[in-house]
Amino acid sequence: MGATLVDMGAQDRRHDRSDKDADFSAYMSARQPALYRTAYLLAGDHAGAEDLLQTAFAKLYLSWDRIRDREALDGYVRRIMVNENNSLWRRAWKRREHATDTMPETGALDTYDDGMGGILWSFVQTLPPKQRSVVVLRYYEQLSEAEIADVLGISVGTVKSQASRALAALRARAPQSLDPHASGDDAR
Amino acid sequence: MSPTPLEDQVRDALHGAADPLQRTPFTVTDVHARARRIQRRRRAAAGAAVAAVLAIAVPFGVDMVGPTTRSDVPPATEPPAPRVTGTVRIDPRSAPVSEELAEPLLDLDGQRLIVDGEDVDLPRLYDQLTPYADGWIGINFIDPKNEGAVGVQVLGPDFEVLDEAAPTSHLAVSADGSRIAWAEYDGDRWVLVDRDRDGAREERRTPLAPGPQDGRVRPVGFLPGDAVLVSILDAGTGQESASVVGPDGSTTPLPGSLRVGSASEVSGLLTVQTRFTGDGSCWQVRDAGAGGAEVWRTCDYSLLGFSPDGRHLLGFTDYLTPEGSPTLAILDATTGERVVDFELTGSRTDVVGINPEVAWEDDGTVVAAVVTGGQQYVVRLGLDGTVERIGGEAVDVEPGEVRLMLAAPDVMQR
Repeated sequence: MGATLVDMGAQDRRHDRSDKDADFSAYMSARQPALYRTAYLLAGDHAGAEDLLQTAFAKLYLSWDRIRDREALDGYVRRIMVNENNSLWRRAWKRREHATDTMPETGALDTYDDGMGGILWSFVQTLPPKQRSVVVLRYYEQLSEAEIADVLGISVGTVKSQASRALAALRARAPQSLDPHASGDDAR
Repeated sequence: MSPTPLEDQVRDALHGAADPLQRTPFTVTDVHARARRIQRRRRAAAGAAVAAVLAIAVPFGVDMVGPTTRSDVPPATEPPAPRVTGTVRIDPRSAPVSEELAEPLLDLDGQRLIVDGEDVDLPRLYDQLTPYADGWIGINFIDPKNEGAVGVQVLGPDFEVLDEAAPTSHLAVSADGSRIAWAEYDGDRWVLVDRDRDGAREERRTPLAPGPQDGRVRPVGFLPGDAVLVSILDAGTGQESASVVGPDGSTTPLPGSLRVGSASEVSGLLTVQTRFTGDGSCWQVRDAGAGGAEVWRTCDYSLLGFSPDGRHLLGFTDYLTPEGSPTLAILDATTGERVVDFELTGSRTDVVGINPEVAWEDDGTVVAAVVTGGQQYVVRLGLDGTVERIGGEAVDVEPGEVRLMLAAPDVMQR
């Protein structure tokens, strides 16, 4: 017996779904390690990074069919992560129920602690979320100010002022360690 | 422009922290599961979730009463509310779904105000928001590292900031919404600020005795004769004392409390916690008009939230957890007699809780946010034992999490 129109429609939908899943899966496999690193810099700890990236991938999956430009996928994920991270930050202090005795994991330096860099990284994590986002996008992702403005949904002028404030805060937090003339021992 | 040494150092620091990481912590299946969860949440937030299924929470023996309104009539002239026998179970999943809620809600996740069934994106997060003049008055957080530090903002109709002060307390809003009060610290002392909602009357500012900022003052509620009940924290002991601030600026202490609960601007009654009992607490209803004399006491409930007509009072479990209370009783405010008992359903392993920051919608119904089964709902509870779920607002929450809050609750314990 031949397939009915209804059966054929269902088959088409299954086929489309299968293609979508295969494409998404390939993208995720290829990009997860790199995007995880960005997530880690934004969140400051592994638990937060995993949550951030998983949410970003989930939202990407839900929007997969609407994104025509496959070159733009990384930017899409970054934008979600940045926005989500700012929101997560807000939630963290917003919800009084989460005021626990245990502090969240921060400054996980399990892979990296060579003194100056480790100290600077720990200071980056104390920046307000939007400033930290600008710093990560600018100095890790190497995005231009216009690209950062696009990701964050703010003006280029605001990107500049946020970056400037972030650098000033880092300089103020650790004037000794950031003095280029200071010795490594002093910096530690 | 060439990078400065500091910029180079920051770049190196970020690469040093991230480059060694080679993590792929989750699978496509994990992502699909998260995507389904997000979809569910979006549907719920859009109001598409769950059609009304009949269910019921009206117990045997209940006498139905008609709709009630906020009343100007003193309690003594009203007949007593019928008692509801048995415990009414609150099961939001199966309760009848009601029309949209008149009391605005705050969605903390989406930074939204939900009012009259419509969502309004907020330009910033607010912990409390109430209509004022042509716009709003809101309480926002001023320090991300200090959850207790809040400030007040006077806002225009589009939430543009017209005026602000910090640090302040949360707001107390009168039962009919016509009066709003908060306390702000001026560097030497806390000052009680009392305004009319229509903005017509000039604000009344009452400086309290000089003291430290951590000796926090909060307006608890309004009392007859334009008086305001305030609580004053002793930062050393963690105990709160009650004081009545009169319209002439006088301050009358009402000693003998550990915590100050609520006040009725109709009856002049107020509630205070008087004892800890290890795993519970004891509370008293007192009469501000009689110098704070005790009216009745209980060790069965935490007493919070008078009805607008002053006749009823809410009793939560005697010890509140962060999730709130699994039960809620509506009591006769003058005798302590129980009118109706509600209990929130949930499995034995479920976290369940009624957030005590509730609002009386009128003299006979209370609106509360409840958590059960990993979801948060808003329910309307009636003096007559009815339970309704406010349509379209069930959202996923993690244990201990609150996502939906009443924007201007009648009970505010912060």
